[in-house]
Amino acid sequence: MSEMARLDVDGRVATLTLNRPEQHNALCVELLGALHARMDEVERLDGVRVLVITGAGRSFCAGMDLKEVVIERSGDAGLPLRLLSSLGELTLRVRRLGMVTVAHVNGAAIGGGCGLMCVCDISATHARARLGFPEVDLGLCPAVVAAWVVRKVGAGMARKILLSGGLIAPEEAARVGLVNSVVESPGALDTHVAELAERLAGGGARALGATKSLLNELDGSLDEGLIRRGAALSAEVLGTPEAQRILSERLGPAS
Amino acid sequence: MIRLSADGDVRVIALDRPERRNALTPAMLDALNDAISRCVGARAVVLVGEGAVFCAGFDLKLCADDPSGKTLAALLTGLSKAVRGLRALEASVVVGVHGAAIAGGAALLGAGDVVVSEGAARIGYPVVKIGVSPAVSAPFLEASVGGSGVRERLLDPELIDAVRAHEIGLVHELVDGDVRGRAMEVAHALAGKPRGGMVATKRWVDEIQDSMGPLGANAGERALEASLSIVGCDEERERLGAMWGKGNAE
Repeated sequence: MSEMARLDVDGRVATLTLNRPEQHNALCVELLGALHARMDEVERLDGVRVLVITGAGRSFCAGMDLKEVVIERSGDAGLPLRLLSSLGELTLRVRRLGMVTVAHVNGAAIGGGCGLMCVCDISATHARARLGFPEVDLGLCPAVVAAWVVRKVGAGMARKILLSGGLIAPEEAARVGLVNSVVESPGALDTHVAELAERLAGGGARALGATKSLLNELDGSLDEGLIRRGAALSAEVLGTPEAQRILSERLGPAS
Repeated sequence: MIRLSADGDVRVIALDRPERRNALTPAMLDALNDAISRCVGARAVVLVGEGAVFCAGFDLKLCADDPSGKTLAALLTGLSKAVRGLRALEASVVVGVHGAAIAGGAALLGAGDVVVSEGAARIGYPVVKIGVSPAVSAPFLEASVGGSGVRERLLDPELIDAVRAHEIGLVHELVDGDVRGRAMEVAHALAGKPRGGMVATKRWVDEIQDSMGPLGANAGERALEASLSIVGCDEERERLGAMWGKGNAE
């Protein structure tokens, strides 16, 4: 199995780690495939109540791997939709999982990475993490993850955040509810998340599962069609000449 | 009473009836809707008020003078059309609030993708006191504030300041000083972003919002119907008349 995603189980807490640190855990088809394969394992785990999602190295997840979405570079016009659909399906699996999911945002969570943070039930980060949705600055549309942002902060605030682009300071992210808590440093975050996961894991498995399942029903999280149409819209906008030109410039010449 | 100007890709719509605290009349709302229709194709639109306050709400003197209720119905309908018209634009909409945004004025915040305000501005929907239903603003509050805050803001006539409005998500950014200048700065930043992604993102958030409520895309229409349903009833006429008799300008 690809080592781009690791799974560690410690008692009632499992940790899923995006393990592509040299690329800031940027989402490529291979990384997403590895995450899906690990989710197959996670879904079969018995007695685990909490899934922590985190990133190896200094970043949580830097968003889409630009090398795979600049069509001129990849030579594969179908690749962006496959990548975005895979991300959409991954978020649906995380949302539906019968465990409490915790995003341990150890560093940059950008675009799709920030979406992965939002789909988790609870998230925590540190004061120096770079968070945000800069898609619109690159001519892109964050539709694939927008529904999770809306469910996290409400439609009005989501509209403001997603249209404003750029980054959002961790304190402001916490103020508007995009992230649940912010601690001072990466070290303090490790401690905070370990305590949080332990506390959450103390709940009854069925009580946690039933509660999460109801919350998903109440907020429309089971609407898979919306996520899939979001992925298709993101891919459509990504394929436009305007977006491809900007991404190509951002990526720079092939080395 | 409505002034439309352009600054590059940004259109500026100013409520311009400062001698009456920009209180909205049916003619003024017609002019506002006309100005909005002229913003088709713009990249960003700024909505601000001239004079001491952003907007004190409907011109209630006109309503009190018209016991048929037609004036109030025209105001509610024109206001709903304006908010929805701004929302329907491809342009990003920035609302800049200073002084006060009361009732119909507060409803205009619902048009903003980004709402900036000075902290001291007074905001609220105190119209239940005069027998008018602020239901027309409910879908916007549901989207921006959510939960218990929606009921509190629509049912409690108390005004809040923008610092509190910022805490509950009604205002996105507090500005120290030049509100209009900051609104223009935000609008230019939004207007400068690549068009395709901006338009798709604005539309997509609308679609998500519609997918989550039981009324879907009909929420705006239904909200207007709810406010219109009690126009002209005895309670409203008595309260409006009594308020005006006391000489209260709001």
